[in-house]
Amino acid sequence: METEIKEAQGKIVSAENPGITAPADWQPVIIGILCNWCSYAGSDLTGTSRIQYPPNIRIIRVPCSSRVDPWFIIKSLQTAADGVLISGCHPGDCHYISGNYYARRRFLVTKKLLNFIGYHENRVQFSWVSAAEGPKFAKVVAKVTEDIKKLGPLHRYKKENF
Amino acid sequence: MDYSKQIQEIASKLFAENKIDYFVGYKQNSFDDSQVPFLITDPAEIPKLVFTDKSVFNLANYLKPDHTKRKRVGLVVKGCDSRALNLMLTESQVKRENVYIIGICCEGVLNDKGEKAQNCVECVMPDPVVYDERIGTPTGKREYTVNADIRELATKALEERADYFESIFANCIRCNACRHSCPLCYCAKCCLDQETSTLYHGANTSSGAMHALMTWSLHLAGRCVDCRNCEKACPSHLPLHLLHKQNESVIYENFQQHLAGMEKDNRGAFYKYSLSDPDDFIL
Amino acid sequence: MARVGVFVCFCGANIAGVVDVPAVVQEAKKIKEVKIAIEYKYMCSDPGQQMIRDAIVQNRLTSVVVAACSPRMHEKTFRKALSDAGMNPYLLEIANIREHSSWVHQKDKKAATEKASDLIRMAIAKSIANEQLHEISVPVTKRALVIGGGIAGIQAALDIADARIPVTLVEKSPSIGGRMAQLDETFPTLDCSQCILTPKMVDVAAHPYIELIPYSEVIELNGYVGNYKAKIKKKASYVDFSTCTGCGTCTQKCPVKVPNEFNMNIDKRKAIYTPFPQAVPNKPVIDAEHCTMLLKGKCGICAKFCEKGSINFKMVDEVIEREIGAVVIATGYDLWDPKPYEEYGVGRYKDIITSLEFERMVSASGPTNGVPVRPSDGKVPKNVVFIKCIGSRDEAKGIEYCSKICCMYTAKHAILLHHKVHDSHAYIFYMDIRAAGKGYEEFVKRAQVETAATYLRGRVSKIYKKGDKLMVRGEDAQIGQVVEVEADLVVLATAVIAPKDNPALARLLGVSYDKYGYMSEAHPKLRPVETAKAGIFLAGCTQAPKDIPDTVAQASACAAKVCGLFAGDTMKKDPMISTINNEFCSGCQNCVTVCPYQAIVTEEIPLGYGSKELRTVAKINEGVCQGCGSCVAVCRSMAISLAGFTDPQIINEIVAI
Repeated sequence: METEIKEAQGKIVSAENPGITAPADWQPVIIGILCNWCSYAGSDLTGTSRIQYPPNIRIIRVPCSSRVDPWFIIKSLQTAADGVLISGCHPGDCHYISGNYYARRRFLVTKKLLNFIGYHENRVQFSWVSAAEGPKFAKVVAKVTEDIKKLGPLHRYKKENF
Repeated sequence: MDYSKQIQEIASKLFAENKIDYFVGYKQNSFDDSQVPFLITDPAEIPKLVFTDKSVFNLANYLKPDHTKRKRVGLVVKGCDSRALNLMLTESQVKRENVYIIGICCEGVLNDKGEKAQNCVECVMPDPVVYDERIGTPTGKREYTVNADIRELATKALEERADYFESIFANCIRCNACRHSCPLCYCAKCCLDQETSTLYHGANTSSGAMHALMTWSLHLAGRCVDCRNCEKACPSHLPLHLLHKQNESVIYENFQQHLAGMEKDNRGAFYKYSLSDPDDFIL
Repeated sequence: MARVGVFVCFCGANIAGVVDVPAVVQEAKKIKEVKIAIEYKYMCSDPGQQMIRDAIVQNRLTSVVVAACSPRMHEKTFRKALSDAGMNPYLLEIANIREHSSWVHQKDKKAATEKASDLIRMAIAKSIANEQLHEISVPVTKRALVIGGGIAGIQAALDIADARIPVTLVEKSPSIGGRMAQLDETFPTLDCSQCILTPKMVDVAAHPYIELIPYSEVIELNGYVGNYKAKIKKKASYVDFSTCTGCGTCTQKCPVKVPNEFNMNIDKRKAIYTPFPQAVPNKPVIDAEHCTMLLKGKCGICAKFCEKGSINFKMVDEVIEREIGAVVIATGYDLWDPKPYEEYGVGRYKDIITSLEFERMVSASGPTNGVPVRPSDGKVPKNVVFIKCIGSRDEAKGIEYCSKICCMYTAKHAILLHHKVHDSHAYIFYMDIRAAGKGYEEFVKRAQVETAATYLRGRVSKIYKKGDKLMVRGEDAQIGQVVEVEADLVVLATAVIAPKDNPALARLLGVSYDKYGYMSEAHPKLRPVETAKAGIFLAGCTQAPKDIPDTVAQASACAAKVCGLFAGDTMKKDPMISTINNEFCSGCQNCVTVCPYQAIVTEEIPLGYGSKELRTVAKINEGVCQGCGSCVAVCRSMAISLAGFTDPQIINEIVAI
């Protein structure tokens, strides 16, 4: 089921439409939506610890992962994002007690639905990063960036394509 | 399956005892062999009521308008229809004391080609889950099977699926008939129509339609009962059941086999959680 | 038309060393809504803040973007700068170009600069959708409820009451005192536990600001911080405390004998009893489950002999209500039942006891008059084996944590044994010796030196009977040998566990608890006495096993928090909470279901303007809402918006990239 991405003449090919190519120095844009109490704090710790990670991610802060409405993901994919990362507190540690449990359910259904209509499953990824996991955040961003680089630019349903 | 007579008797009784203001059932169409929803206030119309395997439409949809919501209504529901009604009761859209529910133990309805409809072949609950009177012999809950079209699409390559769905979304004309016909789409002002919100994406484009249909199916996830009102209403013949059945199968397999509207006061899957919900897709 | 001011900070070289700040400022100026964009070395400093204040006034700004360190650092600082300039402080957005750019992309300055520009553009877009928010004032009832009358509850109650704040102290058993009343002497000072505890107990009873409600339980708590309503069930004691003199005749005359839970069931008490001689209040209660009169309608000897006529068999449970502003949970701990240690013969051999049973035995007013005895034949033991870590630190027994106090009290037991039985010998099987407090290591050394106790590093594999002795087989890892010790008495240091009623109480109060039943603190390091629910605090072992000094410190910390909460006549609350737009609400109440704080209720409003018919909509209690946004994401009608993180704000951020 996985599409093989071929580097055609130095150009990166899009996973969902092989007809779309991008120059080899193309940089993906990843939108990250992080919960304030765990993941955003964890990403701050990554900064304080000076751990380096790829610069493609743009972070948006929300109070809780349960604030993330699936249509933020859809909107991101329809605008600048080639990939989306949502991160929250580990289950059981939610600052608001149960927010991430509800979020977890929405995340799974949204991810599967997006894959069903033709987005590669690595386009939207999720993580649990606690306020103490500075190194983990860097690893997660590096992994997601690498995955999206391999998938190439996202081109379907971009708002400018009427 | 022909319960026309029983339904007419019950409707007569209800009007005679002044238990209802409206009765919602099915009426034979005058120009072809299909049936249409029929709202009556006058007992003289009762003889037109029918119920057979062509009684396809989910009549719970008629409890959405204010006038039926607040008056006393007698309603005919099949298994799937009653599940939608159950969810409407749970979500406080209808007061239980306002509805007299005639539940039919359904043997399946026919589609336009005269064959048993796909959602009836895959039906999990033909018996009414909530009723005041029950007609027919209950046969019990059936085993859940993943929709045949979903299974087939899952085997296709990513690009093929992407092309297929893009063609579906490109054909959506944003008429909103799907929302109007769905009993569980009762919001006074749909989020997709709120011009002041940044969600508004009214344009008749494939990205606009993708956005609208994805949001709509996610709002129905864990609540859809697969009555196929939406598909029957869609003028572009979009296979809307694909989105709903996809969500239903993910929810069934991962969230304690949740199915919409099976029990009283059981809300949709997104309004509860389990400590053992799957987590392994999360880094 | 939005007028945005952008202020980019160099942060010394922290940002400027990687991000090209002047270039970023030039990029910002290109955005048409930006009326002024300036850079400065340290925006958070006084001159920096002055620049912001001046720019706001001179340019009539409608929102402000500060591009600097994380909002978690200086959001408050810059909000104050805005309010000092007469601007609503919530019209500020912060672009994190330090922790999220300059510090993490040090090798790619071009990318870091581009990212900084992007982040600023996102913050500008978000700030345009910011609304003016005002801190909410909620009234506050200045009374505290302390649940639990052990040393934690006692200390918290005294500290709060000393600040002239009324306290209602509820205790489940007939007397306050808790576990500390069961102890003989306490480490590391060997202070007599009752001697240091009872003055505090008397202070509680006498304090003009403390309402002591013994033999009672909290059965309901509604409301939100500053405005709670508690329902307390006063269990029927069948004794009128106002007339009872505490003479004790009734207890003497009662014919019923019941296992005495205060003495760990070693001896018996009567059906009408005070738990221990120094009980506060020192009035007896009747145990309804064992009193012949209450069960069968016969006897009543206590009433016949009571000179004051204080006994009333017709008494019933009474439910009272209190309005309170804050709650301190101080429910203490239980001890684990070592039944699963079948290989030790627990339950089979009488001479295997728990540490608290040993403690009661060596207590002067205990069931054996202060001398440890073998339960099997009443003889005084000579060789006593103490085994530590029974249940604790053991995944197989489901208790992964260390119970913290056992190493210290076992050393104490070795010393007490030595004092009571001069020719005794203590053998202590241990895995580690955890003596981290002030004077603790010295105390353990004292135990080892003074008593010549034998510390054996190794686990015990089996205990079996040999004649009337117990053979304890374990490992002495330091010599790498299996050893067997002939014991007269074996004392197990069983794990400290959360009280078994903690989960039910937690659910009643609306706080979380962990897998062991301990109440959950808001943050393990920085907020150890608060729970995630505002106004509810934790003191003592209810939160995690700890010794008396830490318990008392935590209790006083709770008192400080409560005093802070009650410092004004009203409380200020963060306004970033959710509100419902009735126009779009369909009354489905899914939001009510998901709110973690039960902050959402329903209300009936007219169907339309001037209509007599009503419809149901949801209503958010602004005092309780903590602003998580769970309700926003489940509202299909988009009827709820979360101030500070509204849909327009977040979508603006996404679209600006």
